[in-house]
Amino acid sequence: MFYDLNVPWTDNNRELQRTIAFLDELGYDVVALTHTISGKLPADLTSPVPLPLPFSTPSRLRLLRRCNIFLNDAATNHRIPQLQQQYDILAARPTDEKTLRQACDTLDIDLISLDLTQRFQKHFKYKMFSTALSRGVRIEICYSQGILASDTTAKRNLISNVVQLIRVTRGRGLVLSSEAKSVLGLRAPSDVINLASVWGLGQERGKEGLTKEARSVVEFSRLKRTSFKGVVDVIYGGEKPVDGSAGKNENNKQNKVKRANAEAQKKRKADSMEGTPLSQSGEDKPLSKREIKRKKQQARLEGQQKGN
Amino acid sequence: MVRVKHRYLLLNFLYPTPDTTSTYKETIPELLQFNHPTSDQLNIGLLLKAIRGGVTELFGDYGVGVVNQGLKVNYLSTATSTAIIRCPRAHYQLVWAALTFMTKWPRPIDQPVVVKIVRVSGTIIKVEEEVIRRAKKIIERAKLADGTADAEGPVANIVKAARRRTERDVLVEVDEDRDRDSESDE
Repeated sequence: MFYDLNVPWTDNNRELQRTIAFLDELGYDVVALTHTISGKLPADLTSPVPLPLPFSTPSRLRLLRRCNIFLNDAATNHRIPQLQQQYDILAARPTDEKTLRQACDTLDIDLISLDLTQRFQKHFKYKMFSTALSRGVRIEICYSQGILASDTTAKRNLISNVVQLIRVTRGRGLVLSSEAKSVLGLRAPSDVINLASVWGLGQERGKEGLTKEARSVVEFSRLKRTSFKGVVDVIYGGEKPVDGSAGKNENNKQNKVKRANAEAQKKRKADSMEGTPLSQSGEDKPLSKREIKRKKQQARLEGQQKGN
Repeated sequence: MVRVKHRYLLLNFLYPTPDTTSTYKETIPELLQFNHPTSDQLNIGLLLKAIRGGVTELFGDYGVGVVNQGLKVNYLSTATSTAIIRCPRAHYQLVWAALTFMTKWPRPIDQPVVVKIVRVSGTIIKVEEEVIRRAKKIIERAKLADGTADAEGPVANIVKAARRRTERDVLVEVDEDRDRDSESDE
């Protein structure tokens, strides 16, 4: 399974259809369509990407929705959790040192996608990215700008930034994606892996960047959205028991009573493991056999004494 | 005897942008549009020029110097848009990267193109086998897309179309350097 997590979405349907068909031809299986929000977040956060798309798409291709937010100011990012419900993947594009730090340390996002054609003022720091990686936030490398860019400075900056990113992250937690503004910027997975290996990322790491790491981004964000605190997810809760006829109900009742009796006879109830311990709950502790014997003997003794 | 070690790359030219010259472009399935034939103006000299230009752009004079010695086009078929090139083994990745960065044919053709590497091997026989295998496969796929495949009945076709790709279908098979250790002996 190969992932391309950054394909810009346009409302030009014909072009989009071509792009998606070409991605399928190249061998990608999962594609995320990106909607970019720059500046202030609009009031209506719903995704403009219609899924399913208004044209036929290859059957084996899975499409996701992704949101790219430009982080211009560190103070105005409090509505990000609301965005999470609308999109499959949430990516942030920090524009300066401060927002990059914020994105790495605290923001609740899935991907950090830097604009690598820019020249950054400071070196990337290992510490910053390692906190991001330990939180499960991956860092994205978009190769297409280097291919399509006409000016050499953009290409140079891209390569130097990528090499720096690879050095700083030790090649871990990097996701390779295209961000192709046109169809011509898309490349086959093997070509991307080779490109990354020329830039200093090993073959294996490069492949992970297209498969394993990208998959973990998708799955983490899905878990974040659907599960309880990102830990517990109910996949299938079972069906509710259907109310049958009255006779059946009675049967059920009898069963219930029986079960209650059986449970009472057990030494320890299963649910007493959780919740309040027995000593605090005020419930009677079931008697042990020894205790019962002792009580019996006592009662017998008392009876004898009375008889005497 | 001492042999100069080479790598053979099998290239496939893809055309993702719509063809402006043909008038009936809407009716052709996308698979055929992407794999449509290359212009006949492309010859071996032009392909070599394009590769050298790409290597110069990315790796400069050093790259060209290092690659130029063993660079050769062994096979070029414009009808199927495939080519086999030979390059020095130590630096085949430079050639590959340069081809990845290529977006357009040089001057007389001037058509946007995406070059995809399909197979990397140390012997040309393996590459030739791959060419034949791929040609068969693509005809099968074109028939599937067209709905004219009739050999095994419609059910088999549906099963084939829905079958998932495996990683091996997509990734390029790169032959291992089996004799890297013996390199020093030579």
